[in-house]
Amino acid sequence: MKCTSIYYPLVLAAMLLAGRVALAEDIRIVKSGSGGKISLSLQGMRVGGGHAEKQFYSVLEQDLVRSGWFAIVNKPTSTVQAGGSCTQEGGRLAAACDVRNAQTGKRYVSRVYTETPTRSRELAHTVADAIVEAVKKVSGIASTRIVLIGSKAGKKDLFVCGADGADMVQLTRDGAPCLSPTWSPRGDSLFYTSFHRGFPDIYQVRLATGKRARVVSYPGINAGADVSPDGKSLALALSKDGNPELYVRDLRSGRLTRLTKTRFAAEASPSWSPDGRQIAFVSDSTGSPHIYVVSSSGGKAKRITFRGNENVSPDWGADGRIAYSSRRSGRYHICVLDPKTRIETQMTAEHVDHENPSWAPDGRHIAYTRTQGHSSDVYVLDTLGDAQVRLTQFQGDWYAPSWSPL
Amino acid sequence: MNKLIVSGVWSVVVCGLFVMGGTGCKSDDDELGLLGDDDVLIPMGVDGSGGEYELASRSDTLGDANRVTDVSFENVSFAFDSYQIAGSERGKIERVADYLVGNPQVTVVVDGHGDERGSREYNLSLGEHRALAIRAYLISLGVAGNRVQTRSFGEEQPLDPGHGESAWRMNRRGEFALYQ
Repeated sequence: MKCTSIYYPLVLAAMLLAGRVALAEDIRIVKSGSGGKISLSLQGMRVGGGHAEKQFYSVLEQDLVRSGWFAIVNKPTSTVQAGGSCTQEGGRLAAACDVRNAQTGKRYVSRVYTETPTRSRELAHTVADAIVEAVKKVSGIASTRIVLIGSKAGKKDLFVCGADGADMVQLTRDGAPCLSPTWSPRGDSLFYTSFHRGFPDIYQVRLATGKRARVVSYPGINAGADVSPDGKSLALALSKDGNPELYVRDLRSGRLTRLTKTRFAAEASPSWSPDGRQIAFVSDSTGSPHIYVVSSSGGKAKRITFRGNENVSPDWGADGRIAYSSRRSGRYHICVLDPKTRIETQMTAEHVDHENPSWAPDGRHIAYTRTQGHSSDVYVLDTLGDAQVRLTQFQGDWYAPSWSPL
Repeated sequence: MNKLIVSGVWSVVVCGLFVMGGTGCKSDDDELGLLGDDDVLIPMGVDGSGGEYELASRSDTLGDANRVTDVSFENVSFAFDSYQIAGSERGKIERVADYLVGNPQVTVVVDGHGDERGSREYNLSLGEHRALAIRAYLISLGVAGNRVQTRSFGEEQPLDPGHGESAWRMNRRGEFALYQ
């Protein structure tokens, strides 16, 4: 087998991840692409003839494929048999699901899920996630959301869409520069930087009420907000003390802790480690931007990226691996670094720009900005080797995706 | 101290510190809500010790009505990924300083910008670093810190919407907006 320098580490990462998620013994693996997939049949799923029922079925099928764990093979020999029905009764859409292992007879899901008929897509996402979680013991991402920035004719605003790119909703109507939206750990708030009042300040959008509040507005820049895993603190970049530096702000008291003191360098893009003890960030103290890690209570920062001319936009995933964008041979590529093993994997190869990675909460997929011919769209890549999927299909530029928590 | 003299502009800043004696030139002018202008020139120690300083508080109320339009100043250019002020660019800042010294009622907002390469977040920080380098030079030339605000746009407002070297060179800049 021929391995390029790019795909060899990818296979390695695939093996590591496969080890981590510990495949159950009773599952037959179908070889497909570079990752093993479980054959799953939807043959036994009977759906009514209405639009809602049909949509439920097609979205469920797409979700299961997008999860990356299954090959849909509608045969009785498939390992997982997903049967049941989807019908509309009394103004409710009901999906009765019976999912079991054809070889062992093990029952994975046996439950009725209901929704209003207008929410057939959501119902399919719920069922898809239940199947992924029961069979694979990993989180499903079909019900998650992605926040991103859309730019048309220079006017920029925040949007939110589903993990499949559907159900795009425009959140702001400022038409002003905005940057780096991110989710609170519970997924109920967004934080981002906006210029709509003239200066780069950090705003919080509460999704339940749709209310927006300016939360950090020191002189200078207020940027890169990332909420700590416990939801209590904000890591951010401020220049109020005369130089762009990294800080942690207690969300309740507003108390600031300064983490970096680099008179001759600029810091940006903090990202919390999953245990909240460390923060990855960008600093150009060597003359070009690279990624460093510092204790969230302060101390000496340690550089962790040494390849590429530049390394920016770190996103520390829930399983401990850090995704970032690395400039190599004139293009930005998405890379993943495991700080424990120090194995670094380049996930993209095409000679276009790949930037702004954001981990999906399944620890497998990464949303990012792909720029080709000066036009940007959000794509999703699979760290286990499935093909990339384009999420945004509209006019304009779409970038800076951030994947919601579960 | 060696670390403080690495780059041209900062050595100027340090010299400025000695000239001014570091004794503070706290201004009574609180139009911009200044918090202790005397700290402005004290760089951070190499080991992280040393003085903190504050930026001029920003004014959200700077409106076009107050904009000084009878003079304009050239943009300051920067090299890729750099905030350092090249010798060829100093004259541009010195002309602004001369004007500000002669027109004490005028305040300035220094806007920092970058080209489209690199992450938007990093470019926002870099643009601010550029604006702050210009601010530090203005201060070393005798302009009170409370008259100089900074505002970074990162790569969000290119002057040239193109994508080649010449557009990038034009977009890596510091701009001056003067207000009465």
